[in-house]
Amino acid sequence: MKILLFIAAMLVILAGCSDGRNEATESASAGAGKPLVYTTNYPLQYFVDRIAAPVVEVRFLAPGDEDPAYWRPDAESVLAMQKADLLVLNGASYEGWLKNVSLSPQRMVVTTDGLGDFLIPLETETTHSHGLEGEHEHHGTAFTTWLDPTLAAAQAASIEGVLAARWPRHADRFATQLAELTRELTALDAEAQAIVAGNPGLTVIFSHPIYQYFIQRYGLSARSVHWEPDQMPDETQWRELRAILGEFRAAWMIWEAPPLPQVSGRLASMGVRSAVFDPCANTPGSGDYFSVMRENLETLRRVFAADRPPAGR
Amino acid sequence: MIAVRDLTFGYPQGGFELRLRELKVTRGEGVALVGPSGCGKTTLLHLLAGILRPVSGSVLIDDVEVSALRLEDRQDYRALSMGLVFQEFELLEYLDVLDNVLLPYRISPALGLDEAAKQRAVELVEQVGLADKKNSYPRRLSQGERQRVAVCRSLVTRPRVLFGDEPTANLDADNRDQVMGTLFRYAAEKQAPLIVVTHDPELRERFPTVLDIRELTP
Amino acid sequence: MRDVIFMAWRYLRFYRGKTAVLVASISLILFLPAGLHVLVEQGAEVLTARAETTPLLIGAKGSAVDLTLSALYFRPPHVESMRHREVTRVDRSGLAHGIPMHLRFTAGRQRIVGTTIDYAEFRGLTVDRGRWLAMLGECMLGSEAARALGVDLDDHVLSSAGSAFDVAGSFPLKMPVVGVLAPTGTSDDEIVLVDIKTAWVIAGLAHGHEDVNSAGKDDGRVLQREGRNVVANASVLSYTEITVENMDSFHFHGNPDGFPIDAVLAVPASFKASVLLRGRYEEGDVPVQMIVPSVVVNELLETMFSVRDWVVLGGLAVGVASAMTAALVFALSIRVRRREIETIQKIGGARKRLVTILGAEITFVIVMAVVIAGVLTAVVSRFGELAARLVGA
Repeated sequence: MKILLFIAAMLVILAGCSDGRNEATESASAGAGKPLVYTTNYPLQYFVDRIAAPVVEVRFLAPGDEDPAYWRPDAESVLAMQKADLLVLNGASYEGWLKNVSLSPQRMVVTTDGLGDFLIPLETETTHSHGLEGEHEHHGTAFTTWLDPTLAAAQAASIEGVLAARWPRHADRFATQLAELTRELTALDAEAQAIVAGNPGLTVIFSHPIYQYFIQRYGLSARSVHWEPDQMPDETQWRELRAILGEFRAAWMIWEAPPLPQVSGRLASMGVRSAVFDPCANTPGSGDYFSVMRENLETLRRVFAADRPPAGR
Repeated sequence: MIAVRDLTFGYPQGGFELRLRELKVTRGEGVALVGPSGCGKTTLLHLLAGILRPVSGSVLIDDVEVSALRLEDRQDYRALSMGLVFQEFELLEYLDVLDNVLLPYRISPALGLDEAAKQRAVELVEQVGLADKKNSYPRRLSQGERQRVAVCRSLVTRPRVLFGDEPTANLDADNRDQVMGTLFRYAAEKQAPLIVVTHDPELRERFPTVLDIRELTP
Repeated sequence: MRDVIFMAWRYLRFYRGKTAVLVASISLILFLPAGLHVLVEQGAEVLTARAETTPLLIGAKGSAVDLTLSALYFRPPHVESMRHREVTRVDRSGLAHGIPMHLRFTAGRQRIVGTTIDYAEFRGLTVDRGRWLAMLGECMLGSEAARALGVDLDDHVLSSAGSAFDVAGSFPLKMPVVGVLAPTGTSDDEIVLVDIKTAWVIAGLAHGHEDVNSAGKDDGRVLQREGRNVVANASVLSYTEITVENMDSFHFHGNPDGFPIDAVLAVPASFKASVLLRGRYEEGDVPVQMIVPSVVVNELLETMFSVRDWVVLGGLAVGVASAMTAALVFALSIRVRRREIETIQKIGGARKRLVTILGAEITFVIVMAVVIAGVLTAVVSRFGELAARLVGA
């Protein structure tokens, strides 16, 4: 309910906002015809495309084999983004490179602006300051907001608001296409809720601390380690896992990508099975955001069903 | 062709008076006007040339009563019909030899400068032996050369009357002969009266008629 | 007429020294007020044009003239700084968008203007060679700045240290020149253009250094630990140049919303929006002032014009005195030429012709003086804009 109120509030604010330009402003992608929108990860590209196709052209610059969160644009990429009519950002500390580049604030929309209460600070980070009186470095936040379908819907609403303000001629189309997208996200959310409700209290280990928003949304009991799917953890890391397992009974570790067979084998010997939940930050090899998320939910279904306590107990 | 009758003249400030009952100079006649300094030779010359206007009496040149003309008409008549040579040459420093010779054409609306006049100027300059200095400026000329230029200037308009006021006073014998020779030749050719004021006894000898101003003006 | 011109010209040509002196002095008398008038007009045009293309300007409360001169013409800012949140205030009004300007630093004598890429679009700046700013630490040069600093593409520019009394106030940063702007004929030609974040690096509000977050407990660079915060000591040296290798280490200490800026260009969506916005700033309890630069410049120009008028009046007085002197010189010159005049009259020269010739001599001198004064005024008109900007710089 709260999130819906936030979406509504954001729409009202954005409807009142103007970036000082009207539709008569020439598109920066002169000669290409269509307005040009850049995004900083695949989910945002997908949302823009769902809302605004075929009115705008959407591009996303990070290479397919790189995690966009750790992508650093070079000068050429920045110059390309300067030509965009709109730059759609995730926010929530996602674009760490933003402080290093020169882009027009007038053409940016930070899709998680206004989600302040829902953003999860990374207080476990170490920061520094200079001298006893110096200011600290700014804390970051967790950034995989799109893994929570309700936050994803808020981000999509933020996108639609800016698109409608920039190109009011197509506002109706944008609104219709957003409504359809929001319906699908709501259905996804309901499905996930149902799966989790089937086995409340189940504790799951996550291989990487990137599922904070999913965990927050569905109230999962979860612990994270810092393991890479393509690496064998060292003995310190195995000890850390054993300590966690000593505190919490967990029969599953959820990975962002398939782990090494020897790792999943060793985990299995400890009674921990492995499952993959794709964080979907970059363009999937096949399918789209929803097909990936549905696959993720299938994985979740298996995890929550497999470890369900028997009825009557 | 120059006839003077009952001429009187005096300067406004007084102290000098000129009276002349009669004077006649015929065509081609050369007259030397002599007399002591201050007795009015130059004044008489100026009256004959129309530079000064008599208080009474008349000056006729070829039946034109020059003395009765208005100032502008006298100036035009003088430019058209008279040639004058002065003791101090009076060349303009900022004009070269040829342009000094052609000066009358530049300063009188009664004369029109044409190619014939320019040709005459060149010929006159050659006649007096200054062909190679026709583009020189007066400061580069000797006294004699400057006076020769002044003579050419007086002859370029083909005047009907020639006047000279001590034209050879500052010249050596050779230059004097050359200057006067040119004037005499022109006067003889054109049958123009030539009246010259002079102190030079040798020059006086060359004139058929010598008039002493003291005799002319009782 | 031909003869009159001939005589007058020959006289003037022969006495060319005297003629030159007369022509020069008269032309100067004519040129000084005319040239001054043109210069002032052009200066006014330059100032006005710049002001009219800047709809609204926001700065700390204080002298509107100082704010205008620093934000539009890049004079040293004598206004206080304000916080970057003033840009957000403008953006959130929905009536205009704000372009921040940081103006405190110089590179040599050229002003470093820290702003966003929107400034280039607003001022219609284009790239002559190289490219736009893309990365932190880069700079672009105005056409005149490049010439004055003697640098070009792929060279570096070093920001100047702050005043001798503010050694800790700025951190000289070595900035690669990635582009040179096409000339605009405005004060933008004189600037070193950087991203606002680069200006904050120079101000010491952002910096990069070796990682201390993961320093061990015996690391000599650590002063103490407070929970999850490492307090580093002064032995941690900051990088003086931002490169691809060290760029990721650059970070801000504190909230950038509170970082200093010197002016905000507010670009309203419409005239109505600008009126509404001005009303809010005039009536509202805001810690800053909003001015209309063209109004400020017009007031400044009125002062300039009245000063110019007094100077022109003085010039005219000098001119009258000089004309009288020239007339006296001419009268004396005629006296000296008495014999020449007498000769001309004696050989039959018409008085009228003589007067015309003397008149032609005067006319020639005046015409030549007028032509020279006209040429000088035209030169000032052609290059005066440049001179006005140099004087204003």
